[in-house]
Amino acid sequence: MTATPQPAHEPKKWRRPLGIQLRSQLSAPTGDYRWVYLWGWPLRVVHWASAAAIVVLVVTGLYIGRPYFIISGEASNHFVMGWMRFVHFVCAGVLVAAAILRFYWFLMGNRYERFGALFPVSRKRRYDLWRTLRAYALIRPDEAPKYLGHNPLQQVAVTGVYVALLVIICTGFAMYGQATPDGLIARAFAWVAPLLGGMQVVRFVHHVLTWCIIIFIPLHIYLAIRHELLDHGATVSSIISGGRFVSVREHFEDA
Amino acid sequence: MHGPSTHPWVEGETLGTHLEERGVDRREFLTFCGKMVAILGLANSALPRMAEALQSIKRPSVIWIQLQECTGCVESLLRSAEPTVGDLVLDVISLDYQHTLMAAAGSDLERALQSSMAENKGKYVLVVTGSIPTKENGIYCTIGGRPAQEILEEAAAGAAAILAVGACAYWGSVQAARPNPTGAVGVRDIIKNKPVLNIPGCPPIGDVITATIAHYLTFNRLPEADGEGRPLFAYGKRIHDQCTRRSHFDAGQFVEVFDDEAARKGWCLYHVGCKGPATFSPCPIFLWNTRTSWPIGAGHPCIGCTEPYFWDTMPPFYDRLPGVVGFGVERRADIIGATLAGAVTAGIALHATATGIYQLRHRRQAEAAEGAATAAAATKEDSSNG
Ligand code: HEM
Ligand code: SF4
Ligand code: SF4
Repeated sequence: MTATPQPAHEPKKWRRPLGIQLRSQLSAPTGDYRWVYLWGWPLRVVHWASAAAIVVLVVTGLYIGRPYFIISGEASNHFVMGWMRFVHFVCAGVLVAAAILRFYWFLMGNRYERFGALFPVSRKRRYDLWRTLRAYALIRPDEAPKYLGHNPLQQVAVTGVYVALLVIICTGFAMYGQATPDGLIARAFAWVAPLLGGMQVVRFVHHVLTWCIIIFIPLHIYLAIRHELLDHGATVSSIISGGRFVSVREHFEDA
Repeated sequence: MHGPSTHPWVEGETLGTHLEERGVDRREFLTFCGKMVAILGLANSALPRMAEALQSIKRPSVIWIQLQECTGCVESLLRSAEPTVGDLVLDVISLDYQHTLMAAAGSDLERALQSSMAENKGKYVLVVTGSIPTKENGIYCTIGGRPAQEILEEAAAGAAAILAVGACAYWGSVQAARPNPTGAVGVRDIIKNKPVLNIPGCPPIGDVITATIAHYLTFNRLPEADGEGRPLFAYGKRIHDQCTRRSHFDAGQFVEVFDDEAARKGWCLYHVGCKGPATFSPCPIFLWNTRTSWPIGAGHPCIGCTEPYFWDTMPPFYDRLPGVVGFGVERRADIIGATLAGAVTAGIALHATATGIYQLRHRRQAEAAEGAATAAAATKEDSSNG
């Protein structure tokens, strides 16, 4: 059968789950396509550099927090914690560089990358946040608003990750500075410990946020793949290629 | 070794003569000054200057008041195996008022304080140990019927310099730990118009106290301090960065429980809650009790006693990070984190399955509809043909 699927039996109509159709069921848009460029190269560099850095930071960080294997023999023959901390600090440097580039791109990027894309502000966007939430909860998948860039829920999630990373960077440097208390880093981050209530709280926050990031990773990957497979959202490919094809007839809230 | 005083301080006598009378020879005195110079991290050239300055002191120049406290700081100073030259020096320069050490008691004592403060107005170093209770007008600590705050304010008014010795005088210590029933605060919370030098520790190392006073008496100014008002010569570095067990930390060798093989080998106490990585103190260098040992050296993790609010911020003393309260029992963040991560992964699997079911149903339905439509079309064709 080649006919486009028509909603049959009007009375017993299933809610058409737009958000979660199989590929074969998507009314493959015909006609003209256009290429939309979403993520500039700086943004993609930021994404992949920080992704790699974060994975290493999590692994080394959890070792620093709870050395999960113990080395025997002469201390002078080993430097395990030393290397873990060294690698942690190098990756911290990568993360900070990525953060600086990201900040620059908030100013210079396109509309999907700028400050404006950080948070759903307008009434319409906030309503879309609600609609997206309902779609993800499989309550009204048919009402999911379509976005080219991040939808409002993604915006909130990404902003949350930015905040978490910013806090993890500040707490990290506050700890790092203690080794050289009269150094530049110690002085630049001297405000952190009093604000949080002492160095141990700083450690604790750094540690808890690590777990928040660990939890974010599978969610992020799942939703990205899901979006790619089910909605033709090109989420995965666009963070590699930078953009996606869209039918000129398709409507997007942020086009 | 110097026995108890048989020679009381005579009016007009210099400290130098006094020490001689008590059997301290010049070499011993210079050794003491040399130690002070070393602790303060001064150049050797400071030695003659310090010897000269200390020697020629002619009057009691330190007034020591003890407020809401346990006397531990004075104990730390004096309970060395033998009275040192430093003890004698302190004994003499703080002759006029020191509750614990003075022979006088009662109103005699209070009169001694009053007259000493009046005579040396603007010239004495005020040493304070103990916190200041502020609730209920300070009735939780009164001396001679007067609340601690009043005594402190009066003594501070005529002081040339103020030393807050010990965690209590610094920020309140155990009395100020939550819920702080007496409203205890440190000296810096009461005296705002004069710089206060804090010598933290619960108690601080005696040598640090002595050296700070020696510095003041020599140079007429307090040693350089960090942002918290702690002298840098003593509190400028972390325990962790001076620790004798640090090589085991870097190697990845940790004590896991107090009676394991690693503990016997003297490995790092990080995992059993050492707060050395967050604590600034000279314990590993100056050592305790006339340089006998120090806590980590003896196998106990640092509890961070020189850091402000450590009773509330450093626990648990035998675990690295605070537990997460609000989960019935205190749980480690790692357990909660791992549980949540597992739950989220399970949630993802569930969500993916639900999505699959949803789609399957939709496809079946679409197929059924298609089938019905084809059948209908076929019937229609048939009837029109027929
Ligand atoms: C995604 C980013 C990061 C993650 C997941 C992470 C994770 C961790 C974890 C779990 C710990 C152990 C905490 C504890 O239990 O005490 C730790 C320690 C630490 N982290 Fe990070 N961290 C990150 C970024 C940073 C950054 C940007 C810095 C900045 C310099 C940093 C500096 C430190 C320091 C100084 C320590 C203490 C290590 C020590 O001196 O012993 N971290 N990190
Ligand atoms: S025992 Fe404590 S201070 Fe010493 S290296 Fe280990 S963690 Fe650091
Ligand atoms: S090792 Fe730590 S807790 Fe112990 S006396 Fe020194 S600073 Fe205080």
